[in-house]
Amino acid sequence: MICTFLRAVQYTEKLHRSSAKRLLLPYIVLNKACLKTEPSLRCGLQYQKKTLRPRCILGVTQKTIWTQGPSPRKAKEDGSKQVSVHRSQRGGTAVPTSQKEAGRDFTYLIVVLFGISITGGLFYTIFKELFSSSSPSKIYGRALEKCRSHPEVIGVFGESVKGYGEVTRRGRRQHVRFTEYVKDGLKHTCVKFYIEGSEPGKQGTVYAQVKENPGSGEYDFRYIFVEIESYPRRTIIIEDNRSQDD
Amino acid sequence: MEEYAREPCPWRIVDDCGGAFTMGVIGGGVFQAIKGFRNAPVGIRHRLRGSANAVRIRAPQIGGSFAVWGGLFSTIDCGLVRLRGKEDPWNSITSGALTGAVLAARSGPLAMVGSAMMGGILLALIEGVGILLTRYTAQQFRNAPPFLEDPSQLPPKDGTPAPGYPSYQQYH
Repeated sequence: MICTFLRAVQYTEKLHRSSAKRLLLPYIVLNKACLKTEPSLRCGLQYQKKTLRPRCILGVTQKTIWTQGPSPRKAKEDGSKQVSVHRSQRGGTAVPTSQKEAGRDFTYLIVVLFGISITGGLFYTIFKELFSSSSPSKIYGRALEKCRSHPEVIGVFGESVKGYGEVTRRGRRQHVRFTEYVKDGLKHTCVKFYIEGSEPGKQGTVYAQVKENPGSGEYDFRYIFVEIESYPRRTIIIEDNRSQDD
Repeated sequence: MEEYAREPCPWRIVDDCGGAFTMGVIGGGVFQAIKGFRNAPVGIRHRLRGSANAVRIRAPQIGGSFAVWGGLFSTIDCGLVRLRGKEDPWNSITSGALTGAVLAARSGPLAMVGSAMMGGILLALIEGVGILLTRYTAQQFRNAPPFLEDPSQLPPKDGTPAPGYPSYQQYH
């Protein structure tokens, strides 16, 4: 890798001849080459030479760059050979290294299991939220559909009704406010969200409650009504099934 | 309050873009500082110079790519909200998938699908974290099971006189 770099430097030097700034390129390369091989006296000497007459040094640096070309690679090879010899010598002492490796593997396994469990928990949460019919998001979706198809709501709010939940600090309004409780052994969920239509200035709050049907396990609406923020307050009742309570 | 009465959506795009850029610059700056420090030659002055150089060159690039991701995600999110007319977690997941797909468009359809899946899964995880956080922090404020009575806005069930709440009895 250093050789190609040095060759590039050579080509740039041939292209742009005499300028003091171009000297910086071989200077930097020489620096790197020096420091990668051995930090020896030779490099120190060349440092000093740079501060003197610049013209002569160009020739000197060219020569020294070429001579130093192959040696970095050789030094690295010797180094790697030394490392591999060292490793085979250490292979004789088997027991401590395998214990250490076993301990390390165990730690990795713990970390992996921890990560998998957290990810699995998050996936479970998001699936339950999006796909289970008892989740507040689904209830909100169904209630919004019923609101949209109700003629009185369309009359007040206009054709396109859009719904949203509580305002969070970032401005996203995804969270729909809900409460869950158990009454008479059945689960009830109350949901509250806001709707707005194309009529300007008209805003409404929708309250919906859902009760678990013990027979089918489905969730049926107990009531849905819309409260319009106007003066005087108006309420539109979309569904009222409280008379079906046992 | 005027700021809450304002529609979040078009302004949220600028908000998210800027936020993502800041995150990218700061995070990328920290990483590149450490990387530049480690890759520089021995000597504290070289290392500091290498670190500063790496930050100067790479941190704005990382910030820029984060900003593109955030701005595109927010734009698609707002577009979906306007199209569907409601805000729910599906918008975020779909936006993440579409952002991933669009940003990988140069690499062909297969790369787009893979990138879309990654973006969707990432956003699903983020939404899961958000949902968990909201649920658990909201539960702290909930004490006793609330209103076992029906809300007062509804007319009484069998025609009997309503309970004693005074306001908002409506007749329609």
